[in-house]
Amino acid sequence: MSGALSARRRRALAGLLAPHSLLLAAFFVVPLAIMAVYSVLTPGLYGGVEWEFYPYGYGRVLGAPLGEVEEFDPVYGEILLRSLRLALTTVVVTLLLCYPAAFWVSRLPPRRRALVLFLVTLPFFANLIVRVYAWMLILRPTGVLNQLLGLAGLPAADLMFSETAVVIGLCYVLLPFMFLPLYAAVERLDPALVQASRDLGAGALFTFRRVILPLTAPGILGGCILVFIPAFGNFVVASLLGGAKVMLVGNLIEQQFLAARNWPFGAALAMLLLAAVLVLLVVYVVRTPHPEGVR
Amino acid sequence: MQSDDDSPQADGQSLLRVAGARRTFLTPEGSAVRALDGVDLNIRPNEFLTLLGPSGCGKTTLLRAIAGFEDLDGGRLELEGRSLEDVPPHRRPFNTVFQSYALFPHLDARDNVGYGLDAARVPRAERERRVDEALALVGLSELGRRRPRQLSGGQQQRVALARALVNRPRLLLLDEPLSALDRGLRQAMQIELKNLQHTVGITFVVVTHDQEEALTMSDRIAVMRAGRILQLGPPGRIYDTPADRFVARFVGDSNVHAGRVAAVSARGALITLDEGFELHAEGTGFAPGEAVDAMLRPERLMLAREPGAGPALQAVVERVVFVGADVQVHLRLPGGAALRALHRHLPGAEPPPNVGGQAFIRYEPAAVHLMRSAP
Repeated sequence: MSGALSARRRRALAGLLAPHSLLLAAFFVVPLAIMAVYSVLTPGLYGGVEWEFYPYGYGRVLGAPLGEVEEFDPVYGEILLRSLRLALTTVVVTLLLCYPAAFWVSRLPPRRRALVLFLVTLPFFANLIVRVYAWMLILRPTGVLNQLLGLAGLPAADLMFSETAVVIGLCYVLLPFMFLPLYAAVERLDPALVQASRDLGAGALFTFRRVILPLTAPGILGGCILVFIPAFGNFVVASLLGGAKVMLVGNLIEQQFLAARNWPFGAALAMLLLAAVLVLLVVYVVRTPHPEGVR
Repeated sequence: MQSDDDSPQADGQSLLRVAGARRTFLTPEGSAVRALDGVDLNIRPNEFLTLLGPSGCGKTTLLRAIAGFEDLDGGRLELEGRSLEDVPPHRRPFNTVFQSYALFPHLDARDNVGYGLDAARVPRAERERRVDEALALVGLSELGRRRPRQLSGGQQQRVALARALVNRPRLLLLDEPLSALDRGLRQAMQIELKNLQHTVGITFVVVTHDQEEALTMSDRIAVMRAGRILQLGPPGRIYDTPADRFVARFVGDSNVHAGRVAAVSARGALITLDEGFELHAEGTGFAPGEAVDAMLRPERLMLAREPGAGPALQAVVERVVFVGADVQVHLRLPGGAALRALHRHLPGAEPPPNVGGQAFIRYEPAAVHLMRSAP
């Protein structure tokens, strides 16, 4: 960036950015601020809040020794950790599925490539809940999966309402978010660079480690972030496929607002979720070597 | 044109032998394209060989087949008598300078150059020393820590050269190495590449479509067209005695006219051209009645106001084009044939003839080169 913008260009820029900035302020910053404030207020009797400082929602989760009314309960920490574990599993599984697929798709002829990309985005055309219900039909004890296993003479699998079912559901829902950034990075990788590596005497593994992996790292990072964040806070998949057995932090928050009517505690959980995501993101971004020279 | 280049005694000094190489591609429309249609070639140790031809002639396919990036449908590749058929690219002792350079954007110049040594697990100290040497060889010692993006096109090309040469390959393959450079740099690099090849004593095989580049750099040139080698030989022989009209037109400027041998005598041959004029040539092994193509290089035609002692053609001057050191004169013979002559542009010399005026084209019979008639 060189020099100061002229007054005219600055006005034009302000005019162009205004709608977007106002939208973000009204529908993102303001609600977030409301949640932050609510998280330290007193719960109202029938939901809502009373305007009195009351930070004990945090104490219940983190174990600050403040608890006169609200007591520290390790179960909330466990729920957070379980959410984290399932989100990370989802990231790893979708990455392992999508990375080789991205290479395969990038080598297809253009017309078939466009078709595959269309198919990847196809699920977005149907409602999320409907799609997750379809997985219930597949995974339930008398579902499609067990019928197929029965036909093949294999023992039935009892997957419904388990962590496995939740991970399957999360992977299914979030797969496109992993695939698209990975595909974008893989497609940008110049095949001549891979040939140059081979030409210089490098085997397949050396080429992967020294050329393919570093040059597709931005896409891997992007996909992981795009999958991790929604997986961490998701509650639809967990409540449909995990039931009461697999409660995630998203379900807990939903419960606090809709069932327990403890808005401040729900808000505090949401703030903690947000903080956890931010911390992980910062660690990840700082520790990943910056891929300079990658356009 | 069958020369010593293809003779049996040349086999003794063969580094890489290409025998009957064949490769067919399918276009997306489903038609077959013969990129290599039976190519035989002996690459000698320490020579600078150029594969020259228009785009689509198969020269790049041949280079990629040698590197191992293309499989052959038929024929053999032998390195000092050993078949390369089952040797993957990374096990062939060849290195390539790619047309786009294909430098690794995430590595600096040093690490780009050291890449092949790292892959070969060369010990640290030796790696550093050889990278230093290679960078010094191409004059980039100061820029080792720059990323490719921070280097100019010419500097990137030098990194690509150093990256290939540092591995001491038996064969260095260069795919249109100078095409991305501007004209001045390209001419300087032609000389530099040739010098470099002398210094390192490695066989260079260069693909180019630029005949001037080929003439400047090469020990031998293989002129290719439609998947075949039309002629193989040193630049001078290719220029003076092209094998057919395609080679004559592709290498240098030329007048080529189809005709028939009318008579052969002890003094030479008389050729009648289809466009209604006659040329005297030295006897070159063609029988009377045979169809031939006759070539005259423009610089071997002399323009004069009077016919001289030797053979001459009368013509009308149609256009005079100033091309720098020379003046190009476009002439029309009475029968309609068009010829170009070069008139050396020197101070004090006779001025070029006037447009619209008459001129006599004088030539030596030795300047008329006869070739097998080609379609």
